[in-house]
Formats: sequence, structure tokens, C-alpha cells
Amino acid sequence: MPSILAAPRGRVSSGAAEPQARTIPLESGLLVFALIALFGNEVGALFRYPAIGSAVLFPPYAVLAAALLICSRRDWPWYILVAAAAHFVTHWPQWGLSWVLLADVANIARALTAALLLGWLFRGPPRLDSIGPLLWFVVVAALVAPAVGATLGAANVVLHGASPTYWRPWGAWFLSNALTGLTLLPALLLTFTSVVEGRREELVPGRVIEAVLLAAALTLTCVVAFALSDTGQFHPALPLYAPLPVLIWSALRFGPGGASVALTAVAFAAIWSADRGYGPFLSWSTDDSVLTLQLFVVLTAIPVLCIAAVGSARRNAINLYRTLLASLHDHVAILDSRGMVLETNDSWRRFAEPGEDAFHGTRAGDNYLERCAAAALRGDLVALRVLAGTTGVLARVDRRFETEYDYDHDGRQDHYLLSVEALERSAGGAVVRRANVTGRHQAQVEIEEQRRELSHLARVAVLGQLSGALAHELNQPLASILANAEAARRLLGREPADLEEVGAILDDIVTEDQRAARVIQRLRALLKRGETRLQSVDAGELLSESLELAHAELITRGVTATAVVEPNLPPLVVDRVQLQQVLLNLILNACEAMSGTPEPGRKLVLSVRAEATSDVRISVRDNGTGIPPALVDRLFEPFVTTKPEGLGLGLSISRTIVAAHGGRLWAENNPGGGATVHCLLVSRTSGIEQ
Amino acid sequence: MSPQSAVRTRPISVAIVDDEPSVRISLRRLCSAFGLTVTTYASGQEFLDALERDGNRPDCLLLDAHMPGMTGLEIQSHLGARGVRFPTVLFTADDTPEVQARYLSSGVAEYLRKPVHGEELLAAIERAVDRQKRGG
Repeated sequence: MPSILAAPRGRVSSGAAEPQARTIPLESGLLVFALIALFGNEVGALFRYPAIGSAVLFPPYAVLAAALLICSRRDWPWYILVAAAAHFVTHWPQWGLSWVLLADVANIARALTAALLLGWLFRGPPRLDSIGPLLWFVVVAALVAPAVGATLGAANVVLHGASPTYWRPWGAWFLSNALTGLTLLPALLLTFTSVVEGRREELVPGRVIEAVLLAAALTLTCVVAFALSDTGQFHPALPLYAPLPVLIWSALRFGPGGASVALTAVAFAAIWSADRGYGPFLSWSTDDSVLTLQLFVVLTAIPVLCIAAVGSARRNAINLYRTLLASLHDHVAILDSRGMVLETNDSWRRFAEPGEDAFHGTRAGDNYLERCAAAALRGDLVALRVLAGTTGVLARVDRRFETEYDYDHDGRQDHYLLSVEALERSAGGAVVRRANVTGRHQAQVEIEEQRRELSHLARVAVLGQLSGALAHELNQPLASILANAEAARRLLGREPADLEEVGAILDDIVTEDQRAARVIQRLRALLKRGETRLQSVDAGELLSESLELAHAELITRGVTATAVVEPNLPPLVVDRVQLQQVLLNLILNACEAMSGTPEPGRKLVLSVRAEATSDVRISVRDNGTGIPPALVDRLFEPFVTTKPEGLGLGLSISRTIVAAHGGRLWAENNPGGGATVHCLLVSRTSGIEQ
Repeated sequence: MSPQSAVRTRPISVAIVDDEPSVRISLRRLCSAFGLTVTTYASGQEFLDALERDGNRPDCLLLDAHMPGMTGLEIQSHLGARGVRFPTVLFTADDTPEVQARYLSSGVAEYLRKPVHGEELLAAIERAVDRQKRGG
């Protein structure tokens, strides 16, 4: 037969990644299963008490249910057949044929119920390493499946006249299987799953010694609880608590697998002792004794398995968190509320090599705040900044602190992003994360450089449009200077020379020279590439400067410009050149839009007014063709233009500039024709560069 | 060459029309220094109004081509409409052949680029005045 015993059908609802399932031939699987099933039936027969019509603990239920849960469904008939055969050969011909066959039906129904429900709930072999799945397991394996088995089994007992009542054998069957479901089933299930999935616990000497000690302690406490005769010195219930600490030990240290093995051992010890006339379960009739014993183990097993599940979940969470920490490329340190470094990940540890400064060399056990303070005292401004930020987060004044800085490491300068985030827990603390963001930083610097370059090119393009007008602006003072100088020369050649007039001429020459110099200065400023330089600027002044630059162009285009400036405007903190670029762009666009408007009707109105307490709105209004409705919302997108030869970058760059100043740029069509572009800027008093 | 040449009985009178005060004043000084009689106007409209009001007809008109309101060429066409024709020297930055042809056809005698040297200006004025005389 090519079939396999293996292949869990799906993924479990909790726990770590699945190891690769091993392929076990069906024949080998069935052989092992048959041996275990036969042994289980023998043990069950040993624990059978005719007085209760059932075994105290019935291993075949655990053996078949565990096998069905880990094998492929197409192999189920084989395993069910072998289980039925093992039961049959153990009990026939001691029991009648119909009894054995009907008992087989009850056993199979119980195991099938458990396997189907648990398989459906867990989509594979159940994992008991968290409280939710464990409780579902208890409901199915110790409540529903035993109830199904008990219903059929008790009917069989009554049918064969072994009990006058139905509920007495029902209760015995139910408790027997509940006990098996809570002790032997988890132990077998976890063992089978480990074998099939090929998981192998590494035999660490410490763990082996601990397991031996635990076994010894369990034996000792079981002897105390179940084997010693009642001396009358203590209440008879008191010794029953003796195994409890050991069971909790097994649960916390060895998980659900260890706990279920320990619980099985306790169950066996209790049954064995009672069978031989020892222990606390002898004071009543056999019926009551067995019932009490079963209830004792069941009620002990549930909390112990819960503790094991919670412990497992905690261990899994810790492992997950450590794996996660280890996998992070960023340097991570976890601080307590006083700034002590509780834990660091590998990246952090690798970085904190000896020789690093106090601030970067912090290790687990150091106080991060003290290390920052030490570095700050030596003049490290980054450490000072981080000290202030971390203190704020640890004091819960801030949720998060973030800073970026350059740091020389391994002979190269890198750029780091350091963030400190408050830990969401009652004890407080914070997570410090340090990431090398050199690549991103360089990309940002390059993008910024490109943006500046593009903005500069757009500015140069605007000046290109204005070149004729600018030449005129420069020619006017030059023409005046030349004419004045020649006039003065002729006046000086006369007798007597009119020195008063010559003095007036020289004054005018100086004034015109300064005027020419101002034009050149503005041109240079606009042509220059440079960093953003924020300064306090009067919006009205900004507008008149831009109008002066565009003056000749407006005349050439026959545009009449009017400026309406509200008095007492709050000062703007902007880059003067960049904002001039925006205004020139808006003025030229407006002129362009009015090229179809007949002269002298081309009217440009520029207005500046205070909006709210800190906002200033500059509006550029024309009476041109207006913005096509389809473009109103897209006008500021790159490469969108209304001009036949326009690139569509001017307004896009203008909006970027205004946005970088914390402002807004938008356009709308005027009700009476033409369009208005509004530029809203926030007036600020901080960040002024002198 | 001098404006007070033997053939002239009085100095040449020029009217300067330029919106730019500094240019207007400096050209007035220059022309005065050359012995010309100068009147200045800040716009074409101002000149046309004065012409209508006072009837003072200058020998030569110095016009800035680039002015708000009324450009040099517009002044010329206004004068043409009134049947008046002055020898005109136009200051312009636009000296492409097409524009030159337009200037000349509108009756502009000379055109110059700013900044202009005094001798050059005087020569242009005299040429314009002489051409007018020769023409009629």
C-alpha cells in the first residue's frame, strides 16, 4: 500500500512554524498503532471495575483519537479496523460477541467524534500551547466525545442487562473517558505529533536532570498522596495537595506535554494505590471511590493544563519577540522606566563595540540616560538631544521622540534615525530604535537638490521670458546716466560752468547707478542657485518688487497692473527669491491669459490682505480667457498647461514652493470672466534667518 | 556740426515724450547742453493735449517707443490722424527689420537704442529735421 501515515491536513491555530512532516509508511504506522492499541486495551481491562461497568481510565480512546488526528483521513478506516480488532482480541471471548461489537461501535464513535471535531476546529492536530485552543480541546476531548461514547456504551451495558439503570453506566463511561481525554490523550497526541512532524527535543543535560528531579518529586508526592495510610494526624484531603506543586512545575517548565504525562502518572498512581487498598479513595463504596478518584484527577487536570497552556503561550511569545528582535536590522534596546537597558538585539550589540562613545556603546545593564548624559557632558549635542527626548518619553510626557544625526562609524559617516517609543505597559519604559538611514537620507538630499535645481531652472525660464523687459529696465538708468554725464561734460566746458546744475546731474547719476545696481542685484538673486533662506518679508514689498521686475513686460503686453495692499500686514517668514519667482510666474501667466483680450482692457489686479490672525493672502486676478473647466482642479499638476508651448511646470513648481512654506496655492475662475490665483501664506515670527 | 549753424536762424526745438522721469530729465539736460530748445512730456496724451491746447509745434519729436498707455507708434498714428507730421526720433530696443519697416512707414525718421551718445542723438535729430525740410 502506498499510503502514508503523516501529513497533517492543515495548519494549527497557534504556535510556531510547522516543521516538515515525515512520511511514515502505513504498514509501519499500523503495526506500531496495533501494539499500542493492544497494550492500551490490556491496561483498560486492568482498570476495569465490574462494579461501575467500565474502566477507571480507558487508554484505547486516547490511542485511537490521537492516531486519527495525525494520520491522513483516507487511512482512517485502517486505523479504526485495527483499533476494533485490538479491542476484540482483548475482550473476546470473555465478553459476549454482541457486547464486544457494540462496545467497539461506542469506542469508535467516541474517537471519531473527537477526531472530527478537533480536526475541524484546529485544521490539523490540536496544539495546546495557548488557553483558547486548550479550552476547545477540553470541551471536545473531555466533554463532547466522552458524552457520545457514554451514550452508546451505557446503552450497550443496559442492553446486556449488566445495569438496571442507564445513567449509572453513563456516568462511569463519561468520567472514564473524560479522565483519559485530559491525561493520556494530550500526552499521546503531542508525542505522535512530534514523531510525525520530525521534531526532536535536544537533550540538554540541565533539562534531563530537571526531568529526573521532577519525576522523583512526583513519585514522592504521589506516595504521600495515595500510598500512605491515614495516620489521623492530618485531614485526609490534605495529602492530596502534595502532587499539585510538582504538577505546576511540570506545566510551567515542560508545557502541555510534560503536564499531561505528569497528570497521567498521577492518575495511574491514584488508581494503582486505590486498587491495592491505599490512599484516600477507600472510604466509600467502590462506585463512589472510583467516582471521587476520577473527579479528583479531572478537576486537577483542567487547571494544570491551563497553567501549561498559559506558560507555553508566554514562552512562545518570548521566543517570538526574541526572534523578531534578532531579525531586525535596526538596533533595538528596551529600557525600563529608569532608563536601564533591559535587553538589546544582536544589531545593537554588534554596534556597541568597545571603543564606541558612551552614547553608542550602551549595553544591557547600563543606564541609557546616564550614558547619554556622560556623552552630552563631553559636548555631544546629539546625546543631549536624545537625553532630553528619552527622558520625556520615559516620564510619559511624550509618546514618541525621533531625531536624525550623522555618525562616524567604521571609518565612514552614516546617517541615523533614532526613535524612542513609550512601552505600553504599567511599569513604563521605552524602546529605543536606531536605524542606519544613510541611503534614504542621501536619496532625500538628492531629491531636494533636484527639486532645487528644477526650481532654479524654472526661475531662469521666467527670467528668460522677461529678458527683453529686464534689458529695458536696465537700459533706462543707463540711458539716463549716459545722457546726464554727457550733459555735464558740455556744461563743464562752458564759461562760466554751471556747477549747480552739474552737482544736480551728478546726484542723479548716483541715483540711477543705484537703480541699475538694484536691477542687477535682483537678477542675480533670481539667477543664483542656493539653499532656502527664510527671512522676514513684507508681503506688499514683495509684490511691488515683483511688479518692478515685470514692469516693462506689462507695458509691452499693454497690461495695466494695479496693486491693492492692505495696511499693517503681518510679516511673512519666507524665502524672498522663491516667493518672487512664484509671483512673477503668476503675473506672466496672467499676462499670457490676457493676450486675447483687446487693449486697453487688459487689467491685472494684485491684492494682498490679511486673512486670519496669521495668514496673508496674495491674489493675482486677470480678465483673460479664464481656466478651462476641465483643468481647474489639475492646473497645478506637472505638465498640465493651457499654453500651446508651455511645459506645464511653472505652476507645479510654484505650488511646491508655496507648500514648502506651509502655504497653499489655488486658482478659480472669476464670475465676470478671467481667473484669480490665490496664494495663502502663514505669517510666522520664528525661524528668521538674519 | 552745431544746431546754431549758419543756415538756422533759431535753435532747433525738440519735444521729448518719455514716461521715465530720469530719462526725460537727463535727455532734456543733454539737448539743452547742445543748445536745443526742449519741452518734455510724461506721456503721449500729455503731448497731444499740449499740442492741441497751445499749438506749439516742435521741430523734432523724441519719442520713447515703450510707454504705458500710448506707445510711440500710437502717438504717431494719432498725429497722422490729425494730419500733423513731425520729424521723429524714436527710442526703441526692438530693431528687427520688420519693426523698423513699421516705424519708417509710420513716419518715424530715425530710431535709436538707449543708451544713446549725445553726438549720435544730435546727428539723428538734425538728420530728421533736414529730411523733413528737404521733403517739404
